[in-house]
Amino acid sequence: MRDQTGKFETVDQVNEGFKSTGYICSTDIATTVYLAFHLEKPVLVEGPAGVGKTELAKKAAQFMDVPLIRLQCYEGLDESKALYEWKYGKQLLYSQLLRDKLDQVIDKESDLGESIRTLHRYEDIFFSPQFLEPRPLLKALQEERGAVLLIDEVDKADEEFEAFLLEILSDFQVSIPEIGTVTARTKPYVFLTSNSTRELSEALKRRCLHLFIPFPAPELEREIVRLHVPEIPDLLERQLVTFIHEVRKLELKKAPSISETIDWARALILLHAEGLDRDLTRKTLNTFLKFEEDIRAVDEKLFLLVDKALKETA
Amino acid sequence: MDRVLNDFIVSLRGAGVPVSVSESIDAAQALAISGYGDRQIVKSSLAATLAKSAAEKEIFDDCFERFFTFQTLATDFAAGQETNEQQQPGDMPIPGIGGMIREGDLGGIALAVRDAARSVDLQSIRYFTQRGIFTSRILQTLQLDQLDRFVADLYRQGGAGAAAARQLEQGRDALIDMVRRFVEEQYGIFARESTERIIERYLWDVRLTELEERHYDRMHFLIRKLVKRMNERYSRRRRRAKRGALDFKQTLRANMHHGGLLFETRWKKKRMNRPDVVILCDVSRSMSTAVRFCLLMLYGLNEVVARVRSFVFCSSLLEVSHIFDTCPIAEAVERLRTGEGLDIHMGRTDYGSAFWDFTNRHLDAVTGKTTVIILGDARSNYGDPADELLKKIAERCRRLIWLNPETPPMWGTGDSEMKRYVRLCDVVMECSTLRHLERLVRVLMRIP
Repeated sequence: MRDQTGKFETVDQVNEGFKSTGYICSTDIATTVYLAFHLEKPVLVEGPAGVGKTELAKKAAQFMDVPLIRLQCYEGLDESKALYEWKYGKQLLYSQLLRDKLDQVIDKESDLGESIRTLHRYEDIFFSPQFLEPRPLLKALQEERGAVLLIDEVDKADEEFEAFLLEILSDFQVSIPEIGTVTARTKPYVFLTSNSTRELSEALKRRCLHLFIPFPAPELEREIVRLHVPEIPDLLERQLVTFIHEVRKLELKKAPSISETIDWARALILLHAEGLDRDLTRKTLNTFLKFEEDIRAVDEKLFLLVDKALKETA
Repeated sequence: MDRVLNDFIVSLRGAGVPVSVSESIDAAQALAISGYGDRQIVKSSLAATLAKSAAEKEIFDDCFERFFTFQTLATDFAAGQETNEQQQPGDMPIPGIGGMIREGDLGGIALAVRDAARSVDLQSIRYFTQRGIFTSRILQTLQLDQLDRFVADLYRQGGAGAAAARQLEQGRDALIDMVRRFVEEQYGIFARESTERIIERYLWDVRLTELEERHYDRMHFLIRKLVKRMNERYSRRRRRAKRGALDFKQTLRANMHHGGLLFETRWKKKRMNRPDVVILCDVSRSMSTAVRFCLLMLYGLNEVVARVRSFVFCSSLLEVSHIFDTCPIAEAVERLRTGEGLDIHMGRTDYGSAFWDFTNRHLDAVTGKTTVIILGDARSNYGDPADELLKKIAERCRRLIWLNPETPPMWGTGDSEMKRYVRLCDVVMECSTLRHLERLVRVLMRIP
């Protein structure tokens, strides 16, 4: 994909551009996105759940003003669902509709060998692009102006599928036996996300730039909260982020993610909170903690945690 | 910059990040695009192209900070050189690095040291025992011997010469110090992992009973690593096609678009389940380290790969699963070792009565799906071995695995009843090192 719009001249520009779409990046994120664009390499994004891995791809599409094509991976995903499939129904229907035509073409008196030879002159009419149902991967290659291709949770797919992805990711082309090799019109911009439920293969990692998105630093998270919940009072926002960061230090089954921080901020706004206090926090714990054990664990230390958050922001 | 990048990649590999050739080319291209202007951006670019997992990112951060600082070469030398300024030197030309020392040319010295280090190939340093030899090789390249001879000559002249000689000598000491620190730092960059790896290799094969207490922390770390790897490998429920049984519903569904003609067949699949594990541990004194690490590992695998229920016995037998359910693993293992709050009789080990307790009280824990693991040395102090009770357990469970921390030649000697038990078990394994523990996991997952 060429830089026609001049959106990718410097890392800072990328950073600013994403901010204007409502996504705040760290330097790591901005640099990787910038490099991926210029090196034309896919980006493998890893990190805990809810830090904005999928969101990054969506915003990239918005930023570049190209369509987002998404492929959700799951166990048992195969080529016919990811790449292409023949429109069997259409093929059947057409062969029924065209029966008369076919009868005309094939002379009724001619023998079997003759008819087959005649048919062959029309090539594989039923296996032409008109009968091809493109799935996400093929669609991404066919986009005229390029696209952002998001291959979500690639670790959930089988290893065979991962191997199959390699051809697309390195050459941006696929081979369809009946038609031939399809090459990308404009190279799509590829994001792969993974929650590391299993180790991905070395070959795949080698072909990608790797981006690890951790939970953001407090300043960054505050900026994100301000962007998404602009009406939040300054004091509350500081206390809230400090509190969440303290909670993340505990050993929980699932640490609260950024999206949950935002949910909590919205909830507090609805309750007209001006600042954090113990009672309010206890009542709203379930907006950012999703396990009974976690809620109990935090509840036990609530006194300490709230105090700490209040003191640090005082 | 290419040279520096190369050195950096060598140091990354030394620290345990496998960097392929294509990745190093990517890194060079990335740097060419993003430029060297901003340290943070350089770091992000290299991180994106070279380190490809969360663990590698951590190593990378550490390496980057170590590699791209030049403190050692900048500091401390000033002290040796300050007084040199006012020194009126003799007329003789000072050989080698001496001239720079006298002029206090810090940058020149730093450069000379780096060049010397490169010419003696310092980045091939691997072991801490090599530090001395590399230091002396660098000093030799800097022609320190000539400087020494020159200083000796100055002393012999006496008077002003002696004073000059003293100054030079101070500078020389500072230089030696600096080279030593530089080598230390480079060792830290290029070889940090090697020594660590030697210890690690040793720990994999050391007998658990002979493990020294100072290595416990490292051992815990290794087990955590092993557990993580095993969890990753085995956490996905694997499926196996059951050949021969047609899944008619699926087949119909799959062939709808053929107009109801059945082209593709779908077969019924069988889910492979997590093994249920019941473990009986002998916690007598002689067994304590083996039990400790075995439980540490098995409970690491609990929930994700296998479901574990544990019992400990010495003279009597007791279920301890609840301890593991309520405390963190390391703490629970520690509690078992001290026997704190456990209602267990720590007399002479008696396998007979342990089996009796188990078959009478807890036999319902064993079903046709359960794998029973017994961890013990089978030394029953000449008591009744009660192998008919073990047979009862063996018949009831899916598999009976016996782990014995003694080497096979010792089985059946003295009061060991191992020979008697062996024929009742499905799998009998020696279990005295970390490697054996790893093998245990593989055996566990291979359900017949």
